[in-house]
Amino acid sequence: MLTVNQTKNALLDGASIEEEPYTSPQDSDEFFESLDKPAKEPTKLEPRNTFIRAGVLTTVRGSAYMEYGNTKVLAIVAPPKELLRASARRMNMGVLNCYVNFAAFASGDLDSVTERERHLSGMLTKAMEPVVCRTEFLNFQLDIRVLILDDDGCLLSTAINCCGVALVECGISTYDLVTASTACIYRDHVFLNPSAKIEELARKHRRGSNAVQEHGLIITASMDTFEQIALCKQYGYLSIVTYIKLLDYTLAVNKSLRQLVRGVLTKRVKEQHELDLREKAESALEDQRLEEIIEKLKKQGPEEFIQSNIREDPYVKRQ
Amino acid sequence: MAYVALSEAEKTYILHGVEDDFRCDGRSRRDYRPMDLETGLVSNASGSARLRLANTDILVGVKTEIDVPNPLTPEFGKLEFFVDCSANATPEFEGRGGSDLAQELILSLQNAYESPLAFDYRTLCLIPGQQCWKLYIDILILECGGNLHDAVSLAAKAALFNTKLPRVTATMLDAGITDLIISDNPYDCTRISIETVPLLVTVCKVGDYCLVDPSAEEEVCSTVSVVVSVSMRDGQAFLSGTHLTGGGAMHRDTMRNCLELGLAIGEHLDRLLTKMLNLEQERVGPKRPQTIGFLK
Repeated sequence: MLTVNQTKNALLDGASIEEEPYTSPQDSDEFFESLDKPAKEPTKLEPRNTFIRAGVLTTVRGSAYMEYGNTKVLAIVAPPKELLRASARRMNMGVLNCYVNFAAFASGDLDSVTERERHLSGMLTKAMEPVVCRTEFLNFQLDIRVLILDDDGCLLSTAINCCGVALVECGISTYDLVTASTACIYRDHVFLNPSAKIEELARKHRRGSNAVQEHGLIITASMDTFEQIALCKQYGYLSIVTYIKLLDYTLAVNKSLRQLVRGVLTKRVKEQHELDLREKAESALEDQRLEEIIEKLKKQGPEEFIQSNIREDPYVKRQ
Repeated sequence: MAYVALSEAEKTYILHGVEDDFRCDGRSRRDYRPMDLETGLVSNASGSARLRLANTDILVGVKTEIDVPNPLTPEFGKLEFFVDCSANATPEFEGRGGSDLAQELILSLQNAYESPLAFDYRTLCLIPGQQCWKLYIDILILECGGNLHDAVSLAAKAALFNTKLPRVTATMLDAGITDLIISDNPYDCTRISIETVPLLVTVCKVGDYCLVDPSAEEEVCSTVSVVVSVSMRDGQAFLSGTHLTGGGAMHRDTMRNCLELGLAIGEHLDRLLTKMLNLEQERVGPKRPQTIGFLK
């Protein structure tokens, strides 16, 4: 059978395109051996290199683009629209729908894409529900759409971060800023912000020896003003001590991410303010020009005004 | 979850009850409602169980099939969950109404059973890399009276305990092809170890307090709940997949308390379930026909 190995693409900034993370049972072991493992206790609780920009699209009210290492995500929030069919259970709260889609080029493994999309959509909805003030738009529904351009681990947490920014950009009232991060443990090594391959390893633990070894993955979304956890999803097999340890790591990463998000948003507001000022200045100029014209009109009368404004077309030669 | 209409006064009543550790039906915050469990009642399935937890009624059937293992995990078998929300449970489930809920239940179960430490997939292996058992765990929700996660996981575990896999012998043919011979005797079978099979415990936050086994009314009053998946291994309780549901948020310390409560309750529940299953098996007995003489 012909198997296509992953290809490194210089254009993609070293990101890899792959069909499946592993092709044979030994791969995962070999990969783990080849990895330079972090210390057992991570010392730096920091997010990856991050790029966030709010308001990247002009077609929708709220949009945000985020790069978290090689993971690239675009989030779109449209203003709430009226529910088509209201049911009794939705009486006291607005409805939130999240849709996650992979770009056609984001993943090589096309078979599992729909299932992953559905899974991620469900989780994202769960994470965003506590964040949005849903009591403010009764009988309305808010649609959040996420497009995944590239997947290199921490997918859900990046999507949550991006959605948080897009919500603010759209002007939807939220209780707090939401930030999320991922941590996992495999063979006693703690990985913060794991890549897709490590995530897979920690979650599945396929080559399980008989000895009990904790393995697992935690995704936490938090709102730090009142230290509330909006989403905490765990995979794998963990004791409660390890669970709390990982939870605390992710919360610490969330805190530093929050500073970043806040910085981005304030910058965006300032930028918008400047734009508004410029627009105002421009419209003032325009008003002034119009006023001058009206003045002229009043003085000269329409006939003369028109005559005075007719200029010769420089491209048409005189006969 | 199924929708129950409650007035503001009723909610306050439930809330105050929870505060005083004396709930509407007389339970404390750490008590479960009475449970009826019966195994092996569907003759067409390899294993089955029916659980009635007060008003919640669940029927689980386990079907078996021979499949090819995943190339990445040659010595692992497969599990597949399916949840069907019957329209008899609540009128809301009519048509596609129950699909969201069913999807959530399937995902939580899949997540809880995903780790090979939680469910020993090796017991489902026939010939490594070639043949394995695939178990279809079909869950039917007959009535919906709150706390579906717990009820479903309990019933699934009981059904797995009841599952009988026919004994299979393999004969080697030419060119490395193996032929499987399934035993004709329906009593010649192997069982699945359920020691580490996880249970889901929903810890529900009502007001400022956490409680287990919420009734449908209490679920309406709660802001957020944690679904804790508890797997017992060597007498120690492990978490094999937990998540928050219910559209609320909670503090880290509350979360910790909820997890601890969930683990303690899960441990207790697991012990009781195993005890009761063994008791039932002893009482009903393995209905093996007595073989007399050398004729089988």
